[in-house]
Amino acid sequence: MTAIINSRPAQGDRPAITYRAAGDRHVLVEYGEMALDLELNFFVTAISAQLAEHRVPGLVEAASGFRSLLLHHEPSLIDRETLIEAMEEVHEAQQSVRSLIIPSRLITLPIAFDDSESREAVHRYATTIRQEAPNVRDNSNIDYIVEYNGLPDREALYATVTGTTWWNAYTGFFPGLPFMFPLDPRNAITVPKYNPTRTWTAEGAVGIGGPCVAIYPVEAPGGYQLFGRTVPIYDILARHDIFRGDPLLIRPGDRVRFMQVSEDQLLGVRRDVLENRYEYMIEDDPFSVADYLARIAEVHAEAETLRTAREAAAALMEVP
Amino acid sequence: MTGTHAVFDVVSPGLQTLVQDYPGRRGLQSKGFFPAGPMDHLSFRIANSLVGNDPGAAALEIPMGRLTLRVLAETSIAVTGAEGSGITLNRAPVPLWETVPVVPGDEIACSIIKGPGFRVYLAVAGGIDVPVVLGSRATYTMGGIGGVEGRALTKGDVLHGYPGPSPTRLRVPTSLRPGLANDWEVEVMRGPHADPDFLTEQDWKDLLASNWKVDLNSNRVGTRLNARRFQWARPSGGVAGGHPSNVLDGSYPIGGINTNGDVPVILGPDGPTAGGFTVIGTVVQAGLWKIGQLRPGRDTIRFREVPLEEALALSARIDYTTDPRHYEEL
Repeated sequence: MTAIINSRPAQGDRPAITYRAAGDRHVLVEYGEMALDLELNFFVTAISAQLAEHRVPGLVEAASGFRSLLLHHEPSLIDRETLIEAMEEVHEAQQSVRSLIIPSRLITLPIAFDDSESREAVHRYATTIRQEAPNVRDNSNIDYIVEYNGLPDREALYATVTGTTWWNAYTGFFPGLPFMFPLDPRNAITVPKYNPTRTWTAEGAVGIGGPCVAIYPVEAPGGYQLFGRTVPIYDILARHDIFRGDPLLIRPGDRVRFMQVSEDQLLGVRRDVLENRYEYMIEDDPFSVADYLARIAEVHAEAETLRTAREAAAALMEVP
Repeated sequence: MTGTHAVFDVVSPGLQTLVQDYPGRRGLQSKGFFPAGPMDHLSFRIANSLVGNDPGAAALEIPMGRLTLRVLAETSIAVTGAEGSGITLNRAPVPLWETVPVVPGDEIACSIIKGPGFRVYLAVAGGIDVPVVLGSRATYTMGGIGGVEGRALTKGDVLHGYPGPSPTRLRVPTSLRPGLANDWEVEVMRGPHADPDFLTEQDWKDLLASNWKVDLNSNRVGTRLNARRFQWARPSGGVAGGHPSNVLDGSYPIGGINTNGDVPVILGPDGPTAGGFTVIGTVVQAGLWKIGQLRPGRDTIRFREVPLEEALALSARIDYTTDPRHYEEL
């Protein structure tokens, strides 16, 4: 028995495709190699849009990942083999994603770095789950993130976070949680996740795991290294008008920019959200893949130099 | 609430008694919602079938017991699931796995569940009336939605239901009841991230050969097993993180065995929909109900690998036991 059902090599602009078994109701389709290549995510976005338009009977849902789709199917309506054949047709029909314009919005969020709720979450972890973890120092994960990436100090980390726009590759974990990646490759930092995970994280906490930045929409367990906190991004009770109609603020394909504020300012803004007085900063701004590819080509050499330096720093670090 | 009537007054709420329905909130994983719904979908569906409901109708999930309800309407109930719940009607023992008529003023109570098993299910004829949120009545504790105001029952809650004709009194034959245990065998399929590219072949063999302890810190989000260091087929997670259990984030299947660093966690119905850890095996649909009956801090499990065909056949077999046409009439 094997977990890999089938695989296809890359063909032209189309990435390699691997079909993996995930129990008797799910198939995981992975695209390309495990590389931080946003073009793979644009491919996922395109296939996902095609599946929404041309529904495959018996396919309950296709849930995105960074470079994958998890297909939930009803075996009494479509067997696994037929499902994979249907997907092959969808993949066959997908043209190059390099000329795509993806519907997108630019959302600006305030962030307070090294906030007290994130410190509380790390403190609880250190007292109840794991003492003396390498990623915990003084009830914070921030110094670990800084050193793991060879950054000179905390301010350099904060500038890295606020200095790029973050692409929401997909939504998941808990309701409304965006999985975001930097659109400027010079700002790509990475850090191992918790081992084992935390049992508590504050709503609104912002953290990084691997290369991905996430905002916790609800109080939840979690495995990302925490560095700050922002405003609510999910509210089923719609206490703010922005959540009427859809309890999620950030959709796949939206972009987020962080703006540094003090913790006092953030707490004020969070109160304003609950009282429906805050104005979320959102603008429609469609995303051109061609423009993105041109921009990353321009900074490629610089990004590679930075990456090499960060990897050298990471090699000296202890992993949790 | 027009068309409904008050059926239960919650005298004592128990540890985390929840209104659930089945299959819960489907098709919303892309927005970060796992389905919620009962941990033991088999006992849950059987309870509904015993009172003439659709097997997926809204009913109660009672972990560990300690629930007391006062009955407010003439109706029928059925209790299924864990053994040793000491469930009583007006202080006289009530049988599990059969239809029980009740009248206003009756008191239904259960003590601390001794097991085997950890959760009992209580269905009422007509089903429980709570608002449908995003397509389901199931309580999703992590998102704070569904059920009664998105939370567990508390003292003083009054549950409403849909009145209907009295159902035929039925009993589930012993041969069709789920087998409960303290040491479980759970059916899994390999992957999506197993050998040869993530685990070594020996790792997978060790997974199947081991007796896994169910951690006390287990719940509807996930069932934690004891820590174990696998060999792994890769030295690290590469770009996804230092530990070889790290992958570039993707969506998880319910029942996935998610390796949190060195701790395997079986993803429950309120669990995370996605993340950056490998899922090395997946509990098949026909084995998922057992996860709902594992007793945290005591039970053990062994995984048995099944091929797809066997997983589907087992699923058809347990569906057969939820069909009231196969029950005895009382």
